[in-house]
Amino acid sequence: MEVSASYISDSRFIVVAKNDSGNILYPRPNHSVCFGQITSRTQKPGLRFTTKAMRCEPARPGHVSDSHSVTRFKLLDSVRLHVGLPMDAVSDSNTVNHARAIAAGLKALKLLGVEGVELPVWWGIVEKEVNGKYEWSGYIALAEMIQKAGLKLHVSLCFHASKQPKIPLPRWVSMIGESQFSIFFADKSRQPCKECLSLAVDDLSVLDGKTPMQVYQEFCESFKSAFSPFMGSTITGVTMGLGPDGELRYPSHHCLAKSTNMSGVGEFQCYDKNMLNLLKQHAEATGNPLWGLGGPHNAPDYDQPPNSNNFFSDYGGSWESPYGDFFLSWYSSQLISHGDRLLSLASSTFRDTEVTVYGKVPLMYTWYRTRSHPSELTTGFYNVANRDGYERVAEMFARNSCKMILPGMDLSDEHQPRESLSSPELLLAQIRTACRKHGIKVSGQNSYVSGAPGGFEQIKKNLLSDNVVELFTYQRMGAYFFSPEHFPSFTNFVRSFNQPILHSDDLPMEQKQVVEPPSMSSESSIKMQTA
Amino acid sequence: MSTVTIEPLVINFRRENPRFRRKTKLCMSCSLNHSAKLFLSSGSTFISNFNAPRVLLHTIKASSSSTETDMLADTFESTDVFYKQTFALKRTETVEGKIIIKLDQAKDQRSWQLTVGCNIPGKWILHWGVNYIDDIGSVWDQPPDNMIPPGSITVKDYAIETPLKKSSESEIFYEVKIDFKPNSGIAAINFVLKDEETGTWYQHRGIDFKVPLVDYLQDNGNLVGANKGFSIWPGWPLGQLSKMLLKSKVSDTEGQDKSSWSRDPKQENKRLEGFYAEQPISKEVTFDNSVSVSVKKCPETAKNLLYLETDLPADVVVHWGVCREDAKEWEISAAPYPPETIVLKKKALRTLIQPKERRNGCWRLFTVDKELEGFLFVLKLNENTWLKCVGNDFYIRFSSSSTLPVKPGHGTSKDPQISVKSVETNQEASQTAHTDGIINEIRNLVSGISSEKGRETKTKEVQEHILQEIEKLAAEAYSIFRSSIPTFSEEAVVESATPLSTVKISSGTGSGFEILCQGFNWESHKSGRWYMELKEKAEDLSSLGFTVIWLPPPTDSVSPEGYMPRDLYNLNSRYGSCDELKDLVKKFHEVGIKVLGDVVLNHRCAQYQNQNGIWNIFGGRLNWDDRAVVADDPHFQGRGNKSSGDSFHAAPNIDHSQEFVRKDLKEWLHWLRNDIGYDGWRLDFVRGFWGGYIKDYIDATEPYFAVGEYWDSLSYTFGEMDHNQDAHRQRIIDWINATNGTAGAFDVTTKGILHGALEKCEYWRLSDKKGKPPGVVGWWPSRAVTFIENHDTGSTQGHWRFPRGKEMQGYAYILTHSGTPSVFYDHLFSQYRSEIASLISLRRRNQIHCRSTVKITKAERDVYAAIVDEKVAVKIGPGYYEPPSGPQRWSSAFEGRDYKVWEASLVTMVHKVH
Repeated sequence: MEVSASYISDSRFIVVAKNDSGNILYPRPNHSVCFGQITSRTQKPGLRFTTKAMRCEPARPGHVSDSHSVTRFKLLDSVRLHVGLPMDAVSDSNTVNHARAIAAGLKALKLLGVEGVELPVWWGIVEKEVNGKYEWSGYIALAEMIQKAGLKLHVSLCFHASKQPKIPLPRWVSMIGESQFSIFFADKSRQPCKECLSLAVDDLSVLDGKTPMQVYQEFCESFKSAFSPFMGSTITGVTMGLGPDGELRYPSHHCLAKSTNMSGVGEFQCYDKNMLNLLKQHAEATGNPLWGLGGPHNAPDYDQPPNSNNFFSDYGGSWESPYGDFFLSWYSSQLISHGDRLLSLASSTFRDTEVTVYGKVPLMYTWYRTRSHPSELTTGFYNVANRDGYERVAEMFARNSCKMILPGMDLSDEHQPRESLSSPELLLAQIRTACRKHGIKVSGQNSYVSGAPGGFEQIKKNLLSDNVVELFTYQRMGAYFFSPEHFPSFTNFVRSFNQPILHSDDLPMEQKQVVEPPSMSSESSIKMQTA
Repeated sequence: MSTVTIEPLVINFRRENPRFRRKTKLCMSCSLNHSAKLFLSSGSTFISNFNAPRVLLHTIKASSSSTETDMLADTFESTDVFYKQTFALKRTETVEGKIIIKLDQAKDQRSWQLTVGCNIPGKWILHWGVNYIDDIGSVWDQPPDNMIPPGSITVKDYAIETPLKKSSESEIFYEVKIDFKPNSGIAAINFVLKDEETGTWYQHRGIDFKVPLVDYLQDNGNLVGANKGFSIWPGWPLGQLSKMLLKSKVSDTEGQDKSSWSRDPKQENKRLEGFYAEQPISKEVTFDNSVSVSVKKCPETAKNLLYLETDLPADVVVHWGVCREDAKEWEISAAPYPPETIVLKKKALRTLIQPKERRNGCWRLFTVDKELEGFLFVLKLNENTWLKCVGNDFYIRFSSSSTLPVKPGHGTSKDPQISVKSVETNQEASQTAHTDGIINEIRNLVSGISSEKGRETKTKEVQEHILQEIEKLAAEAYSIFRSSIPTFSEEAVVESATPLSTVKISSGTGSGFEILCQGFNWESHKSGRWYMELKEKAEDLSSLGFTVIWLPPPTDSVSPEGYMPRDLYNLNSRYGSCDELKDLVKKFHEVGIKVLGDVVLNHRCAQYQNQNGIWNIFGGRLNWDDRAVVADDPHFQGRGNKSSGDSFHAAPNIDHSQEFVRKDLKEWLHWLRNDIGYDGWRLDFVRGFWGGYIKDYIDATEPYFAVGEYWDSLSYTFGEMDHNQDAHRQRIIDWINATNGTAGAFDVTTKGILHGALEKCEYWRLSDKKGKPPGVVGWWPSRAVTFIENHDTGSTQGHWRFPRGKEMQGYAYILTHSGTPSVFYDHLFSQYRSEIASLISLRRRNQIHCRSTVKITKAERDVYAAIVDEKVAVKIGPGYYEPPSGPQRWSSAFEGRDYKVWEASLVTMVHKVH
């Protein structure tokens, strides 16, 4: 038998082999290599061996295949798996935090067959002190570690602040914010949300004479040149931070996370000076100047349920009134325009590199089963019973040739509190449908770092669904991730990628696979790494 | 002798002309007795000449000394050797040996002789002096002249240095003998042993060796000095005594101190008695060895013959390969291989070298194709010791022309070094190398598939290996992350603290906020209507704040309490009927309490006898026969496999390794879960079988919560509980681990330590040496179910009752600490009720959960205090404690007898997901 192995890229192997009678061995999913007779399209008894057991045995002729399971793992094959690095992987003094742990972790991931890692890169760390002074050393050191470990890197550019771990906005930005609250979003009680800049200032020269858009642009350019040796090779993707938590959204629930009541509807964030200006202009332009004086007066507070006031009432709520439509259209279109600005900035910046640009959309699944979808509305998605709010979002992504990151792949309906009328599964399906319609590739994430009940099963279910997920990023490396409570189940999860449901010995030889070797290569690549 | 440490060393290595072979050989024969300086003395002026006339070889051989010569080596030498190279190998080993001290009567029956010997090679000096009988103090004196052996040197005026000489005795002893007369007035001989090579002093436990000579005179009254003779010998194990001694004497009852002494029976009536004692010592010994390689051509086969010989001790393994170019890529040579060769997957061959007959060292002959460029090898001495050439492989280059000397290849051009590498997996550097090695191995494996036809590859093993490696790396990462990331962060916000919005449920922990109630005691079966009685208390228990209740074992049972189950599907018991049970479970569900079924899986009582009259045939729906019974309890004549755990002797132990048993039990548990409504399990006597089976049962039934009873004894020394109960908690942790963390376990360790601390006012016991809680709760809090009493330890059985009157201290501890606390029914309906209720409500109010962080702030004789999650402070014990004022302001919540709790106010903590 004559066999040749080629190393296609860092993480992919293809083994092509010929046996004495000229049969070609193609890599098969599921750790096995099979002999197939490429000339005749019939199944004949032949030899096959699995790298798992390395034994030769005659394949059973006439074994009826379970085509369903084949489809299932074919889909799983096409998913690349990443793991998020700790949020604070680089400290604010630009050193790598717990580098030894990360180094060990990277090795473990590599051995497991994970393709790459996701790294949040913080505006507040890189451009901490002065506008235009970038300090990339910590992140470069980390990128080198990742490169050395033979992993891919997906960078998330974070233009927001994090509360836990505490990573603030750049100091010079916060200083400006101290005297100028209006650069932040504000809720109806005029409380500013200091986690990120208001989208209303995107094109206003509020940052030492520059607009935030210019500042973001320069940041991206600096990133691109600082990491040019990694671009396209180690770095394969960049997520553009679009707002609070990096997501395309208003910080509608930013005060809610601390409350016991998770099912609160959140609040509209249109009360900073600049947002109110925009609203006023818009109202005047559309001939309803009175509608431009403020947001809905009858919307509930952050942690109240929808029916605690009239705006979101399922029947007869103001959201269905002409005013409601006026306000919600404006509020949501502002968000989409903001996303459009940032994504077009990113995609033009990175056009000449081989990295793919991503944007993240939140999954506001509480109250999804009501007609008014209040959580989505406050967050900026005008998605209600009779209107698909994600169509325009998907269209915007398509316009910028960006891929979409969707969280919540670990959430299942059955584990949601019944009273919140939520449905992560249905919402996810809706957004994915919109994406498919516009040809946008979806990348998945899990929402709960400390594990949602039944999370792995749900993730698998999501990855196997008809709508393709091209990349899944598991969040996130840290103490819990490696704990004995969690790591074994993660290992099992990863191995189930590689070893689909059926045991290799139960699989028949299949013509279909023989004639489609390229689709198997990624599977065999994982196999080679984990074998 | 065992290798402990190996250090890298630098030493000469040279090429040598065959002419000098004799010298080498001599060296080798010297190394028989491990003399240390072979190569150092063998000069450094060898000349390179690779084409020495072969006649010379014969001459030399003829003159080579008395030792027998390997015939093969001879013939090899006689042919056309075109290349020969000797590499010196230097390695250190920690050699363990002993010092022997012997006192006996000389042959003339009048004088005595002290013999000090050592069986490790070295230049030993005995540094010694004496004490006189009438001398006061412990200062040494010069011995009388007639006592000083020839060759001794006097050191100042108090000591003598006498070199040890090689002894004629077989065990390669070095020894020195000191003769003295018994009546010379000497009370004791003091000495230390000095190794002149290394300058090391060997003392006995940091002080001098002291051989008392007057002990047996009369009594201890006239013993001189602070160091009474015997005090230096305490506790020597009997096993160290030479077999020459008489055992009857050894076991003499003179007391522990003298047990290692033995008297020569012949001397019994003398005033002085002979003895023999040994003390283990260890020394770093340098060994110089060499490996030499000669190559000759074999014209008949067009092959190169390579003769490798070394004076290393036996069991040397050569890992070798060949290479085609100077690239030194290892390849596997074509067969034939020398005997005892194994092909390794990393493209190497492994050959055990053959010991030489009647000579030290070993050799092997390798045949290598002529067109190959070189021969690569490393030597492996044992698992940890690899011998390499300057950190690289040894490389022998076959010159294509026999007239050319070897090209200065890599490692041979300048003063080369031989390094000895020790592989220790706990070192980070080698860890890294190790992992890289694995990654390479995977790559090799992949290409290996292509290059080695049909060869059996142990892929599965490799896979296992990698998984283990991943686990190791994960554990390393975990330990670092865990120590550096605080679970809670402090923030000055007004909102009250909140639990995780989406609580993760796992059978090992429930929600993490569970509080258990043991809902019965040893008497509960007596009324016959316990289910109904308990039902009336359901609301009460719920309002107290319990989230889980543990009900008694429900099945038909030989004993009324239920722990000797018989027909598993018959749930009519002394506690009530099956319907009453269902009703009770329903009631608890209504009030929001989860219900644990007490399931006895370890053993089961039979209903019928087998043909031998043994009760091992079961009845009811699960009518198993003796195949379901473990084989290792002769009482029950089981035909199953051996038990995977400890045995419970009162009933047939079930063999969980049987597929049908597990299938039936899973079905039964499903039935309990679905038909009766149990939410989880309390697993009885889980010591009796492997935890992996529990995992199987739990995976199959997906309980909300599960806890196992792994109860064995703590460790005690002389009736006193040891401070360190790590071994005990480790056993419990091991069990939890075996269940893969799918079940928690009762924290028996914590109960035991609380006993110790409270009973004797030893509150310091409540902190382990790392400042963490000393029970299971300190190591794996989320899986520890803490308790102070249960139906066995307390109630009317009282097998291991909590210190009376101190129960509230116990509850103050477990209800404020991490872990999942369990409250015993009896305490709940006693005078403690309101205090327990307050503690539970405080726990809930502050959202203390099974993973809360416990910071021990005091662990002293009479008081223990800890701060939990920065929110609750607690002290137990009569001593004084006030929590320190820091970011929190502490206000006293309440106090009871010898305990007090505080809550933090004003600044609250936020617990978040990110």
